[in-house]
Amino acid sequence: MEHTRPSLRTSAAPRSRSRSHTPSPSARHFPRLLHSSMSYSSLPSSAGVAPTVPTAPALPPHLSVAVAHDPSLPSSSSSSSVSGIELGENGSSSSGGMIMNTEVDVGTVDVEPDFKPPEGDAKKALREQLRRSLSKREAASDPSQRYQPKREPTEIDELESPSFDAFPVRQYFVLTNAGKPVFMSRRSPSDASTNDDRTNIMGIMQAIVSVFADDGDKIRCINAGRTRITFLLRSPLYYVCVSSWREPESVTRTHLEYLHLQILSVITASQLAKIFERRTNFDLRRLLGGTETFLHSFIEQLEFDLGISNASLCALKMDPVVRANIAEILVPPKELKDVLYVALVSSGLVVTLVRPKKHSIHPADLHILLNTLSSPSLASTPISWLPICLPKFDPNKFLHAYMSHLEEEVPNGSDGENTDGIAVRLAIMIPDKDGFERVRQWAGSVAEALSSSGLLESIASACRAHAYLPMDIGIPGLRHFVYKSRSLVQITMPAWAKPYDELDSRRRLVTLYQTLHDVLHARSGQPQGPLKLQYIRTDKESVMGWVTHPFELYLAMSPGLPKSAVVGAANAIARWIKREEGKLFLRDAPVF
Amino acid sequence: MARGVRGPVSLRLRVRLLVLVIAPCPQPVGAASLLPTTISAMSKQLSFKLVLLGESAVGKSSLVLRFVKDQFDDYRESTIGAAFLTQIVTLDDGSTIKFEIWDTAGQERYKSLAPMYYRNANCAVVVYDITQSASLDKARTWIRELQRQADPSIIIALCGNKSDLEARRQVTKEEAQKYAEEEGLLWTETSAKSGEGVTEIFNTIARKLPTSPPPGARGATTSASRAAPGANGAPRGVDLNKQPNAAGGGDACNC
Repeated sequence: MEHTRPSLRTSAAPRSRSRSHTPSPSARHFPRLLHSSMSYSSLPSSAGVAPTVPTAPALPPHLSVAVAHDPSLPSSSSSSSVSGIELGENGSSSSGGMIMNTEVDVGTVDVEPDFKPPEGDAKKALREQLRRSLSKREAASDPSQRYQPKREPTEIDELESPSFDAFPVRQYFVLTNAGKPVFMSRRSPSDASTNDDRTNIMGIMQAIVSVFADDGDKIRCINAGRTRITFLLRSPLYYVCVSSWREPESVTRTHLEYLHLQILSVITASQLAKIFERRTNFDLRRLLGGTETFLHSFIEQLEFDLGISNASLCALKMDPVVRANIAEILVPPKELKDVLYVALVSSGLVVTLVRPKKHSIHPADLHILLNTLSSPSLASTPISWLPICLPKFDPNKFLHAYMSHLEEEVPNGSDGENTDGIAVRLAIMIPDKDGFERVRQWAGSVAEALSSSGLLESIASACRAHAYLPMDIGIPGLRHFVYKSRSLVQITMPAWAKPYDELDSRRRLVTLYQTLHDVLHARSGQPQGPLKLQYIRTDKESVMGWVTHPFELYLAMSPGLPKSAVVGAANAIARWIKREEGKLFLRDAPVF
Repeated sequence: MARGVRGPVSLRLRVRLLVLVIAPCPQPVGAASLLPTTISAMSKQLSFKLVLLGESAVGKSSLVLRFVKDQFDDYRESTIGAAFLTQIVTLDDGSTIKFEIWDTAGQERYKSLAPMYYRNANCAVVVYDITQSASLDKARTWIRELQRQADPSIIIALCGNKSDLEARRQVTKEEAQKYAEEEGLLWTETSAKSGEGVTEIFNTIARKLPTSPPPGARGATTSASRAAPGANGAPRGVDLNKQPNAAGGGDACNC
């Protein structure tokens, strides 16, 4: 298992032939970001359009971006209030934590590090053709992409076009290194291409990859105007995303990495390697049958899920005492010491997680588990037993998951207003494939205990009370925020309120957050390295990202407010979280 | 999925069943307070493990859903891994038995896990789709595997599902029935959509299961390891269509 940081790896490869001529767009523009830091307030924001993503190939001139290093921003008074915040221990990346702190490590599981595309005589001509046409387009389009102001008007037009155009559905493809289709994401309704077209496209993708592979190189992405085609090579599988959202490349790579992990959860890395060793031309769709739903639901979730983009989990907000009582019941008895994790989940939020002392849960594994758990097929069965590989735990082994629904016993004669469809799911992971009967007996008693003690009802009411609004914090102009506790590896955020109840606004904000995250963590290899603070103002909102030792905070405010107001809001949020953190985060879950 | 349909009564049943299964079976269950009222008067109940096998998309989960909840979804996602369900059936003599049903996924990648589900099974329902002749070939493969690998006393039923799609039929009744007779299997056609034949096949299986407690302590830890006397299921190859309907069998559960 090899952990790599995709962006670092690629930027370190001097021969990278990615059509972006610098390690990444945001790195390329970084000097400009710095220069503008002094003049952020005087830049016109009246261009009439929202510059959605500042790391786009051509930075619109009206975009106001400011970068500041730590000391310059928070006023001395507010920074002192911040420094008082202490959120537990910091060495959270140690395996002693409940959840592994991975930070920028989305991690990769290389099935087969050696990159050997299948050779074919007929391909040579195509490859030559590709090589010629690719370099031609490079020559023709690159200067305009990078520097020519002529491109700006068309870009602005694109942004002004109706909202469904602004964030066209991202396309995801998975193919084998022999060019065989494995998976395609759903098309947008306006997409007229047939499945045949798309299958052909995958053939071309494979050819493009192999052109670079011939030189011992790996293609990372192709930038074509607004659109970026990102390649993630995890031989024997290739993952490709076509996106025009202008999110940082590192974000797309994380998405593709997650698709890879989800596939590994169904077919382990060693199985994959073995299959393709025997038959390079294998049609993997046969083996993946029925799991497309996992990938589709993941793709849907990746659009907005800030837990995934921050490599953290999102816990159900609830009274810590109730949570502790629940967790007590979930500690497996002696006979089940081989249990790996017990998770209780409701509405996609983690109620609690119980684990052996020696294991931390990797957030990626947890997201894979949550995504699997949310599949409609499991939702319609009271008890399921399935093999699942948690690739960060062990990419070559299956665990077995007992997954059941816990539903409340509705007392006769009650008016039945209690559970209304809030499903509580119990997931128990165990390495023993014959462990079902043992687990089932215990799970039955857990269900009984949770139900009879009224804790199931507490979970249901916590679910109903989970959402809070940005207004609840009482900060004028605050529209949204994401707060990540770095030691607990958990996030909390308010519900999407106006204007982010609208999907395209939400997409815009999520992309801005991702941009901030990318810059703060230097995931695109910017020469300055990681930053503490990053502020971006568009005419739709101002957003700021702030990284401190105990937490990371991203917030969105009305665009008209002065920067000092944004800084003040950030401090106020941090104080509010400090007061509420007992409920917001899952802490001190028992280990066994 | 039709989750909203569930009423409070079935919710209660679900939780109670979970509790019920804790007892190692087969064993008389006398705890009347744990049982739904309609069967609380019963003094003994045996559990039997039943496994559904067959190619993907032949309707295994739909059959079970019809049998357990008397529901049908026009669109169902593929089963992941295996689903575990229970259903109680009342026999003609008023006694009840409980089926512990393993509804396995038909996908190829789960093939290697199948022995785990049929190893201790008392009965197996091998399902094919009458509109896909290839699915009968797959069913034959499963039956061969069961005959070789499963408990020799296992009761095997071959079940041609989707009988409502008569117009698209590819497998004739004669062909399937002949095969079933040769192999000594129960056989019937069912429609999970209309409900036709579904309760009947499970009831027929229930009647063929041994009703006396198993000799010795073999497999006392699991509910399913009944060593049924081979002679018990003597007349094999029954055509269910010629049998008197299992009256009232489907009403055993108050779902």
